[in-house]
Amino acid sequence: MFTYIIRRLGQALLVLVIVMFVTFSLPYFQNHGIYGPAFAILGTHANPTNVAHFGAQYGFNHPFFVRFWNYLVQVFFHFNLGHSYKQNNSVWGIIALYVPRTIWLALTSLVLTIIIAIPLGMVQATRRNTVFDYAATGTAFVLYAVPTFLLCLLALEAFSFRWPHLPASPPGGVAPWAIFTDPLGFLLPVACLTLATIAGLSRFMRGTVLEVMVQDYIRSARAKGCSSRRTLFRHAFRNALGPIITILGLSIPALLGGALIVESVFNYGGLGVQTVAAASSLDIPIILGITLLVSILTLLGNLMADIALGLVNPRIRIEGASR
Amino acid sequence: MTTFKVGAPDTMVDVPFDPAMSSKDGHDVIVPMWKQRLKIFAHNKLAVASVIYLVLITGASFLVPWLHPTNQTNQALTFGSAWNAPPSLTHPLGTDSSGFDELGRIFYGGEYSLTLGFLAGFITIVIGTLYGMIAGFVGGFTDTVMMRTLDAFLSIPYLFLLISLITVFGRTTLFLILVIGFTLWWGNARIIRGDALLIRNLEYAQAATSMGASKWHIIRRHVFPNSISNIVTVATFSVADAILFLSALGFLGLGIQAPQTDWGTMLQAGAGQLANGFWWEVYPLAIVFILVVVSINYIGDALRDAFEVRLLER
Repeated sequence: MFTYIIRRLGQALLVLVIVMFVTFSLPYFQNHGIYGPAFAILGTHANPTNVAHFGAQYGFNHPFFVRFWNYLVQVFFHFNLGHSYKQNNSVWGIIALYVPRTIWLALTSLVLTIIIAIPLGMVQATRRNTVFDYAATGTAFVLYAVPTFLLCLLALEAFSFRWPHLPASPPGGVAPWAIFTDPLGFLLPVACLTLATIAGLSRFMRGTVLEVMVQDYIRSARAKGCSSRRTLFRHAFRNALGPIITILGLSIPALLGGALIVESVFNYGGLGVQTVAAASSLDIPIILGITLLVSILTLLGNLMADIALGLVNPRIRIEGASR
Repeated sequence: MTTFKVGAPDTMVDVPFDPAMSSKDGHDVIVPMWKQRLKIFAHNKLAVASVIYLVLITGASFLVPWLHPTNQTNQALTFGSAWNAPPSLTHPLGTDSSGFDELGRIFYGGEYSLTLGFLAGFITIVIGTLYGMIAGFVGGFTDTVMMRTLDAFLSIPYLFLLISLITVFGRTTLFLILVIGFTLWWGNARIIRGDALLIRNLEYAQAATSMGASKWHIIRRHVFPNSISNIVTVATFSVADAILFLSALGFLGLGIQAPQTDWGTMLQAGAGQLANGFWWEVYPLAIVFILVVVSINYIGDALRDAFEVRLLER
């Protein structure tokens, strides 16, 4: 198990370097090449001397590979993500300020998704082709087709303007765990992100449970006199867990993407708002830093999903360890 | 007339048995496979309705300059009734905050959203199929390298990547298609690769190999035709996802550049007017949009049933 984790971490590191290479080379393709940010900060008609000065300050005059190597050394050996072009703050400072809020939002929604979607999938699979199943499947179909931002905007219109019971924007400047001390303030963003995540996952959940329910071992369990509840929880649920854990691990980029949209709508100060702002002002160090961080979160999520998979299914653990 | 059941276990439907399909002496006439598939598909009434709806919306989007000619280029600059006008005879769905006729604009934006969605979906499936087939069929070290690379792609937060890509490359139609296409193929490649891996080990592929068929020949003649069902289904879902992605970009202000527009940009602008009571700027478009995505996904589901070989009549 230990060697397996080390091996996976090694692979993850390689993946990180690839991701960094891709994001690092992106600015070279834009208008004005790597000097694009200089024009974004100093203005479109910036004086060439000032542009050159700005470039020298941030090392634009060095060749690509020298810059990339320096960046890698700076990130992995000095844990320094650089300095924002636009905001007078280090990238690390900005991330440390905003990332806890995004993580709490995403985690709460993920936990709610698991709590709601798994039982829902099981009920749908056991009551297949009933009114409840059709209603739930239909709702999921429509919910999946509603863009996340539209869902948020409609919720905002309904619950903050038409029937003003909930704040349009969650309280800012509070501790990141205020999500628990002031649940009403955070209800709209959390509910929207949860609904968006469930919409993407529920069909998969239903399909997985359905696939398990028609297996021979379920019939055997019923045949040997297992109660339907025991069959569901001891035989079906445990076997459906594997694929569900995998898909949850893989859904982290989608979850964070959804968080980005939800944050933008509700003006919830988090990574999403920062990303959009940085992208529009070509604040490359912030984009690089956030992409790196989100990739790390995604890779950790996948790794944790695989480890959890080994825990719920002993057959995979043996195979995984020897791999 | 007797009936028999077709469809996936959860969407079982009764299909009437057609005596015309059997010959007089009782032997079954061989019905071409595409006809059988079409029959299963056509029997799914909702899927047929979805196709009709999509054809109507697509047709209207491309024919709108002739069906309902409106000025969608020059916004109304003078202050007055041209802005946010409620539905009337001249403007059946009112006008938006720039004075554009809303009904015309829905289809004008649809032209771009649908074109982008279909082309980007097409790119994702072409790349995904090629990548998945090669990885799954060649196997071994190539497969390992290709799949690990795919893992790398899958851990890239794609919305974040999309934002940086579009910021860098600009928001022309072509770049949006390419960027969305090149960002969404990873999941497809994984599914197709699973198929190729499965078919490679089936008897007929092994037999072809033992008879000296080249790898390219086996991919072309055996692997591809036998995974076409998954390819078509995945392609359908990709189109829906591409349309949704484009709308998310439109919301972030990274959609198609003015004077052109797309549904995401329009929904974003319209939703801002809801608080003022200008419902016509959001709800009609929202219904059209949601139904388009639902239809495409539903067609995908129905196609999957139609392609399920085990469900064909024998």
